Amino acid sequence: MAAPEDLQDLALSEERIRGLVQQTRLADGRELPVLPFYHVLELARSLSRSKNHKLAQPRGHAVALVERAALALGICPERYLRNYDAYSLKEQLRLLEGDVAQVGLGGLGGHLLELLARAGVGHIRAVDGDEFVPSNLNRQLYATRRSLGGYKAAAAAARLRLVNPAVAFEPIAKFLDEAEMGCFVAGAHLCLDALGGLKDRAALLRQTTAANVPLVTAAVAGQSGFVATVLPGGPGPFDFFGAGAGAEDTLGTPAPAVATAAALMADEALNILSGRGPRLAGKMLVFDLNQMSFETLTL
Amino acid sequence: MNITVKCFATLSRFSPPDVDAYAISPGDTVAAVVARLGIPEEELKLVFVNGAHAPLDTLLADGDRVGLFPAVGGG
Repeated sequence: MAAPEDLQDLALSEERIRGLVQQTRLADGRELPVLPFYHVLELARSLSRSKNHKLAQPRGHAVALVERAALALGICPERYLRNYDAYSLKEQLRLLEGDVAQVGLGGLGGHLLELLARAGVGHIRAVDGDEFVPSNLNRQLYATRRSLGGYKAAAAAARLRLVNPAVAFEPIAKFLDEAEMGCFVAGAHLCLDALGGLKDRAALLRQTTAANVPLVTAAVAGQSGFVATVLPGGPGPFDFFGAGAGAEDTLGTPAPAVATAAALMADEALNILSGRGPRLAGKMLVFDLNQMSFETLTL
Repeated sequence: MNITVKCFATLSRFSPPDVDAYAISPGDTVAAVVARLGIPEEELKLVFVNGAHAPLDTLLADGDRVGLFPAVGGG
């Protein structure tokens, strides 16, 4: 977050931003001051050019500074207009200041990352050592004919530059051992478990508990799946599942179920990052798309 | 006495035909129902009764809702 003195330094004075605002009338008649998309980019460009502020490099960081400065003034960057007022401007600013550690960039991870980036989560570090293979194409958002054989982390980084450059995205193309997981999640506001399979779930949970970081987790098998939030020391579904084979080995992981789980994870992550608090702590929201049923169960 | 039985994911192959009105006898526990449905012990990982996690020896009553889960880890 830019301090007030930074704003002047950055030629990002309150006056300059206010001068570019367009009053936008919402459907219910309320007025919302909006900073148009191209003005955000222009301001960011002028920041990047200013010699006395190295902070503003690269461009994406400058965009983030402009968006945060606008939100702090009660002005909505146009990019987030349709987040309003599902998220208040204060909550939107909290999202931009949010810092998440995401493990896995496959089925759950691709959809999840896309939703968080569009929502405006400011800092995302994501790790996956895997490369795309043809059997990923049925569900993994960043698996394309072009990305096959390449690192999932690299495809995610390329996509985020297109979707929202204000996100400070740190991709890591590596499989982490348990000690590395501990370093990876340290200091994050939230960890997202987008792993596939059961093998590494318990280790990640141990490390988020040790680092005192809340964890949003999910899994899918066939048309059913669940999403849960595990607060440090609290109960979670993977306390019960062991590390053996999961039902997905026989039922598969079709796209609608995976995307449903990812969307529910994203919403819960935004609940936590925006300051509203988790809705699924100690619970699991279970869905069965075959029956079109949803149920929240207490662990 | 009837209960509702919901078998998730791979356990759905053990679902009785009358999931919304599965007949039980007084004194039946979750374990008794699981055995009657033929669900192998090692496949059952989580049991819910009326929306809350419950042990296998939970005594069932008329109208209870039972949810049975295998291990699920796909992503």
